[in-house]
Amino acid sequence: MICIIAFVVFAVMAIFSANYRPLAAEAFDCVFRKMTFRKCKTRLDERIKSKITGKLMGHTPKGAAFVFKRFEILSWIFVIVTIVSLAYSGYSTYNYIQYGNCYGPEVTGGFCIYNALEGEKFTELQKKIEGETILPDADDDPAIGLEDAKVTMIEFGCYSCPHTREAQQIVREVVSQYKDRIKFVFRDFPIEQIYGDAFLHAEAANCALEQDMFWEMHELIFTEQEVCGEEVHPEDHIEDAAKRIGLNMKEFKKCMKEHRYKEEIEKDFNDGLKAGVSGTPTFFINGRRIIGPKPIKAFQKIIDEELEKAGEI
Amino acid sequence: MGLNPEKLRKDFPILDTKVKGRPIIYMDSACQTLRPIQVINKINEYYNEYPVCGDRSQHKLGKRVDEEIAKARKIFRKFFNAKHSEEFIFTKNTTESINIIANALKFKPGDAVLCSDKEHNSNLLQWQIKKDIKHNIFEFGNIEDFKSKLTKNTRLVSVVHTSNMDGTSNPIKEMIKIAHDNESLVLIDGAQSAPHREINLKKLDADFFACSGHKMLGPSGTGLLFGKKEQLENLNPFLVGGGTVEESTYTTHHWEPLPNRIEPGLQNYAGIIGLGEAVHYLDKIRLKNIQKHEANLNKKATDALGDVVDLISKDQERAGIFSFNIKNLTPHNIAIMLDNSANIMIRSGAHCVHSWFNKHNMTGSARASFYFYNTEEEIDIFIEEIKKLRKHLT
Repeated sequence: MICIIAFVVFAVMAIFSANYRPLAAEAFDCVFRKMTFRKCKTRLDERIKSKITGKLMGHTPKGAAFVFKRFEILSWIFVIVTIVSLAYSGYSTYNYIQYGNCYGPEVTGGFCIYNALEGEKFTELQKKIEGETILPDADDDPAIGLEDAKVTMIEFGCYSCPHTREAQQIVREVVSQYKDRIKFVFRDFPIEQIYGDAFLHAEAANCALEQDMFWEMHELIFTEQEVCGEEVHPEDHIEDAAKRIGLNMKEFKKCMKEHRYKEEIEKDFNDGLKAGVSGTPTFFINGRRIIGPKPIKAFQKIIDEELEKAGEI
Repeated sequence: MGLNPEKLRKDFPILDTKVKGRPIIYMDSACQTLRPIQVINKINEYYNEYPVCGDRSQHKLGKRVDEEIAKARKIFRKFFNAKHSEEFIFTKNTTESINIIANALKFKPGDAVLCSDKEHNSNLLQWQIKKDIKHNIFEFGNIEDFKSKLTKNTRLVSVVHTSNMDGTSNPIKEMIKIAHDNESLVLIDGAQSAPHREINLKKLDADFFACSGHKMLGPSGTGLLFGKKEQLENLNPFLVGGGTVEESTYTTHHWEPLPNRIEPGLQNYAGIIGLGEAVHYLDKIRLKNIQKHEANLNKKATDALGDVVDLISKDQERAGIFSFNIKNLTPHNIAIMLDNSANIMIRSGAHCVHSWFNKHNMTGSARASFYFYNTEEEIDIFIEEIKKLRKHLT
């Protein structure tokens, strides 16, 4: 059975190096013989078994004995794991092509998914996402950093998405490091399919913007995301948050009641869809996409490259 | 005075090699020995200083090649105590040497060749495929069986001196005497004896003796065929061409004297000169010391592992060869595991003696072969690793 794994491994390696082609051919011959109930002529399976056992023998003789005596069973397990792994890799690749992430439309994990096919509040927008991808711009959304920066980092985020919240610490670090050289813009992408209060939070942040308190509200909503909805009703929580950051409550309530920024938020969402955003957080750094809360190095690499291209380094 | 393996090991650059922090333990010398720096330097000397044709060119470099080749031939004559330098023919290996005799010796229909039942394929297949002669087989080491199989038709006794499979030896001197009394010629396959014990060709009185350079510190692709002068002169032309004739017309030719007439074409000068240096090196150490050292190492391994493994031969004298099997493990299992667990390099399989293994319903054996550069510490590691395999995997 080990020949099957050997064939897969050597076949992949043979793509990159001709040295592995004879081994891949040998493994294939071995697999073919096994499938036709014949003995592997080249004893590749025996050689692999001996090599693994020998290497283990140098470190843990008992481990070597365990592997040697149960090699066929272990081989079967590895074959099954390999097949399952290959199937998952194929599925993930499909998801990445289809949805821009490896998890698919139904499953979350590192990324809050928006299922464009399921339909939701912005049903009229669905037609617009068919067609060419249009990279997003900063629009008139809240921004930090250099106004005429040559590198713009746009985040499409959802206030109720735990992964958007997770990314905020990274965003803070990036902004702190590059605030004199880049422009950071936050745009709304509320995923109401999953989070019923997502649109409400986006409206609250936009209403706070009217009173120049956007970033304070923005930070507070993310900080208290776990509390909201669990212990306090979202609307009560929003009002309480507005009070705590010192907003004019009359104006704020009026803004919220009138849904003054509904169209603005829908426009953000629409722009996100046109740019191929399928969940949050999704970042665009001069058009180059980062999906999910990636390590800061991933951001630094792209920003530095873009700054260099722009002659800023 | 005995040999000092620690001191001699310094001559072998390969022994400084470490794989994953551990030194290599080379125990496959029956296949090929390692080469000392002196041999490597000598080969380099040819390519650096006189990389030209020998025995043809009249210029200074050509003459230098001729001198070095003549020097090597003298070294071989002294080392093997032969009568004449020109009794040594340069070949690729023992296999080629035996093939030359099989094809150039004058046989007549009905002639027989007598071999042992433990011959390397190099001294078996020639006789199997040869038409018009009978191929007889006696039991290795059994002098009575040898006598009984020797007939008036036995033109040649072609027999291995020391077996590459288990290190045991035929009583070669006695067999040569008996064969000569029967007016049979004798060809000795000395591939495993020449590097490990003193060979005195005058005393042995063998008609032909074949050995390989790569098993005695020499370069790969070098071998020797010794033949008594009168026997070599009596051979049929077999491999012929440039260098074998003094002159030729479109219909006639005039052979060169020995050894040129049996050495066609451009020779492996670097190899021959390197082999000369290798034999000179062995001569300095003295074969008696090598034989004693190998016997000590083999005894140590046998004493420690005699009850742990299945030895192919329990004979006390097995040169440096320790050939064995372990229950429930194939020979290849053993070899690959030793290589991967402790960098111990041994050989596994049938060692080209398939016929003997088939006769005994065995697939082969694992074979550790020691030489003078192996140390007692290496044997200790070998013993420890074999015991681990036996304890944990069977």
